[in-house]
Amino acid sequence: MSDSLSRRHLLAAAAGGTVVTLLPRRLAARPDLRPGEPVSSEDLPAREASWYRKLPERRVECQLCPRGCQVADAERGACGVRENRGGTYTTLVHGAACAVHLDPIEKKPFFHVLPGANALSWATAGCNVECKFCQNWEISQFRPEQVPARYLPPDLLADAATRARVPLLAATYSEPVVFWEYVRDTAAAARPLGVRTVVVSNGYIQERPLIEVLPLLAAVKVDLKAFREPFYHDVVRGELKPVLASLERVRKAGVWLEIVVLLLPTLNDSEDEIRDLARWVKTNLGPEVPVHFTRFHPTYRLTNLPPTPIATLDRAWQVARAEGLRFVYLGNVPGHPAENTFCPGCSAVLIRREGFLVRENTLRDGHCPSCRRQIPGVWS
Amino acid sequence: VRSTFSRRDLGRWLGAGLVAGPLAATVKAAPARFPGRVGLAALAGPRGGAPIPPTAARRALAGALVAATGAASAEASARLLFRPSDTVGIKLNCLGGRNLAPRVALVDALAAILGEAGLATERIVAFDRSSRELQRAGFTIRHSGGDYLCYGIDNDYDPEPSTSGQIGSCFARLVSTTCTALISFGVVKDHDLAGVSAGLKNLYGLIHNPNKYHDNNCDPYVADVLHHPFVGGKLRLTVLDGVVGQYHGGPAYRPDTTWPLGVVAASTDPVACDAWAWRTIDGERTRRGLETLEQAKRSPRFIATAARYGLGVGDPSAIREVHA
Repeated sequence: MSDSLSRRHLLAAAAGGTVVTLLPRRLAARPDLRPGEPVSSEDLPAREASWYRKLPERRVECQLCPRGCQVADAERGACGVRENRGGTYTTLVHGAACAVHLDPIEKKPFFHVLPGANALSWATAGCNVECKFCQNWEISQFRPEQVPARYLPPDLLADAATRARVPLLAATYSEPVVFWEYVRDTAAAARPLGVRTVVVSNGYIQERPLIEVLPLLAAVKVDLKAFREPFYHDVVRGELKPVLASLERVRKAGVWLEIVVLLLPTLNDSEDEIRDLARWVKTNLGPEVPVHFTRFHPTYRLTNLPPTPIATLDRAWQVARAEGLRFVYLGNVPGHPAENTFCPGCSAVLIRREGFLVRENTLRDGHCPSCRRQIPGVWS
Repeated sequence: VRSTFSRRDLGRWLGAGLVAGPLAATVKAAPARFPGRVGLAALAGPRGGAPIPPTAARRALAGALVAATGAASAEASARLLFRPSDTVGIKLNCLGGRNLAPRVALVDALAAILGEAGLATERIVAFDRSSRELQRAGFTIRHSGGDYLCYGIDNDYDPEPSTSGQIGSCFARLVSTTCTALISFGVVKDHDLAGVSAGLKNLYGLIHNPNKYHDNNCDPYVADVLHHPFVGGKLRLTVLDGVVGQYHGGPAYRPDTTWPLGVVAASTDPVACDAWAWRTIDGERTRRGLETLEQAKRSPRFIATAARYGLGVGDPSAIREVHA
């Protein structure tokens, strides 16, 4: 066993430090586990998953994400965080937070949700896809027992948000779909405390779990990885079609939706693809759904590509605007004018941003101060 | 004998270095010493689940090794495959718990044979994914002392992923860095997704993210793990504890679908060893009126893929069984 402290462990340790100070000093659900205490998934009480069906011979079929893993006894699904224990499908991460930070909501990014607010952001290990460009692969692509975590049951997480005096909880960093029960229970615990929950997801989820949890959420941001199935197959190890269905479901449910598209040089950045994507968003979701094109930096298994040229991002912005999308942003380019929110009616600058900072917000009750046009979003 | 060293000689040496350097860097997997050959020795489990006596375990393992290599003795077999300067990692498959994992007596015997071949105690490491799994299978965790070391990977993986074919994984540092030679020590069992879990599927325990690679009956992913230089370049022996086999319902242990296979298998050809396990499991399934793995649509296709990669003999009908 190595004595060195890996980046993965360091991140987790730092995260733990952030949150422990926010936690009350009382015993957790299990007398031997204290809130904020390092915990192994094997030490957590076994918790039955909410979305699966039993099959003959102690096998199960997961009904959480579209992969629909059929899992034999003692095996796990592709996400690595759900295990078949004698015919009962079990989540191994309910209450096992491996990262907890206070982040500006702009970092998620949500640009139309309480600008300038902080969100208590958390994650567990695991993911249901394997993006070769994953920025958080050191937690998303590992199993729970491989990532240091701390015991943070839903009620204590919600309580921590109130202690931090933040209005938002954000399930993010890895993939909230794989800890969907934890998201659900935390959102339910947070709501009576006046804390709203948002989710940053790949949208690769089946209809029933999504519909059941949406009423508890204030906003959803979906990473639309590309607009071509082969990309999803080859680079993400997922599927595009179910993600598009999730986008429509979120919109139909009336939950605030924003979309992020990470542009990877030569892989998903063609003008045709961006045009197709923008047309689909306008037609199926409406022109007022914000779309963020963000800049790629080499990481994980895609270290052979350069960072996305700014010119590519500018072109994507122009194409999407030309197709009629009203709120198009560029991300990971601090200081770029396309970080700002403009009024679609009079073109006035409504929210001026620099990176994750909100420099100026002139919105009045969600309206443009110049032309009084209503700007869609969650503003209060 | 010339005592002078000419410019021509110097040129040859430098030329050889220029060629050998890049070649060494690109070597992926060493060819099997005895392609297609699987050594088998009888070893019946005592009645009532009692432990196998160490002498019986030693006799069977030695017989299988001699049959696999044609060497004069077990020690000679080990000398053929390993050098005293090697650090040998023995990857165990303990997922099935005490009832369906390599028996401690057999692992003890293997370590003893390696010791007789000149390997020091601290150069023999029996391991699996976690120390907990090893303990559940009856092993004692030892980071020092004893006849061999025994501990789990316990999250000690390389900090960056490495690619082989379609897999991209962080390998256990024990495999990438510590060990110069590997032995895959598995069992003979059915696997719900892979079809067969024997010596090759056992190698999934070397990477941090095996859960990502169970689609398509684990094909080509299992072969891709074997093809990685960390693995294929070091794997010199496969041993299977076949005292009990499981013909259906794996990978978890199911007492109602096991049968007394009563053998220990060994091979320097990891692909052939899996092909033998496939043939053996299918034979038992047929005897019991079950579909073959191919009929059940979970044929272990990764075996043929590994053979296509040139890593061994994958055709079950081409396997040569050599009995002790």
